[in-house]
Amino acid sequence: MFKLSRKTLINFIFIACAVFLVSLFSPFFKNSAQKTLKPQLTFIGALKRECVGIIFYHRNMVELARLGNETDNLRRKLFDLREVAQENARLKSLLGFKQKSPYRLVAARVIARSPDSWSSSVIIDKGRYSGIKRGMAVINTQGLVGRVIESADNSSKVLLINDPGQGVSSIVQRSRQEGLVSGSLGANLIMRYLPDEAQIAVGDIIITSELSQVYPKGLLVGKVVNIGKEFSGLSRYAVVKPAAQLSGIEEVLVIIP
Amino acid sequence: MKKWLSIFFVIIILATLQLSWPAPLSFFNAKPDLLLILPLSLVFYFNFKFVLAAAILSGLLKDAFLPAGMAINALLFSVWSYLTFRLSSQISTENNYVRLCIILIIALLNNTILGMQSLSAGSYIPAGIFLRNLFISSLYTAAVSPLIFKLTKRIAA
Repeated sequence: MFKLSRKTLINFIFIACAVFLVSLFSPFFKNSAQKTLKPQLTFIGALKRECVGIIFYHRNMVELARLGNETDNLRRKLFDLREVAQENARLKSLLGFKQKSPYRLVAARVIARSPDSWSSSVIIDKGRYSGIKRGMAVINTQGLVGRVIESADNSSKVLLINDPGQGVSSIVQRSRQEGLVSGSLGANLIMRYLPDEAQIAVGDIIITSELSQVYPKGLLVGKVVNIGKEFSGLSRYAVVKPAAQLSGIEEVLVIIP
Repeated sequence: MKKWLSIFFVIIILATLQLSWPAPLSFFNAKPDLLLILPLSLVFYFNFKFVLAAAILSGLLKDAFLPAGMAINALLFSVWSYLTFRLSSQISTENNYVRLCIILIIALLNNTILGMQSLSAGSYIPAGIFLRNLFISSLYTAAVSPLIFKLTKRIAA
């Protein structure tokens, strides 16, 4: 059935040439494809949000009451912390410490998700026109989300931290132990290259390290939920639950340095 | 020309659906590969060049929204379309079960290649997640395919 006849060979060569030519123009195609699908994706996203809002009306009402109480508590805490921050700034200026400039944040909405199960990425509705460039870190109110890997005029592609191709240089907040957090396509992340004597325990908070060239130092990555030994027996690994809920992410903030 | 336009709109609609697939319908984070089913179902009704163009367009559209730079889906979709085209002469267009089996086998092969490509790029994917992605998304793709068969049949009519 699959005997390689001359016609078959010509067909295959035709396919190969067509695909090669098309992949050559792929970046141009990518940009225009994202531009073409953006209105539909934005509309469907808005429709989905409205439907979810109507379907889960009661749950949202209970959640709203709970969040209202939480906001009051946090507002009180924020007031106290603002005092501490001002005192901290005064003392730092007295000591001559260099003040860190605050980041500029651009809020964006997630309009599409990765079309397959082998990667974890999202498309956001802001791009070059909003100052977003390749390599910028992306967070949300809960913690680190990922980084921008492509930016078109009005949309950008963000590689989430649970993508297996993603690596974040991180530290354990308590002990300052360094490691590399990478994704595994699952719900949790894996912190690797931890020495046998590493100071790490379940419940420890993981933040980005200053060694990271992409992510600013101190962004919340997640919490350690399990610790194990690598197959080689030479080092340990930690399973980290990401602070940001990556599967249902809707809004993000892009850090513009 | 009318058929070309219809297929183009169907590709756009399927791509939009695949990109904004609702989270409650994603089983274990797996979603059906609607763009893979389309060229394979077109094989039974249209000539090969038409199918090939649809396969390349579907593959490229999928690649456009993936982090990988290479147009691997465009290549794979073309190859799967060609192989299905070779088989199509021996399959009745009314026999949905055989077509469903073909989609399942192709989805499994497609996912295996994509998974292997990800592993060979140095990514760490635990065996459980690899197998889960491989089987659940392939089964899901096959389960959804009869709907697209109906759609292509209507376009071809």
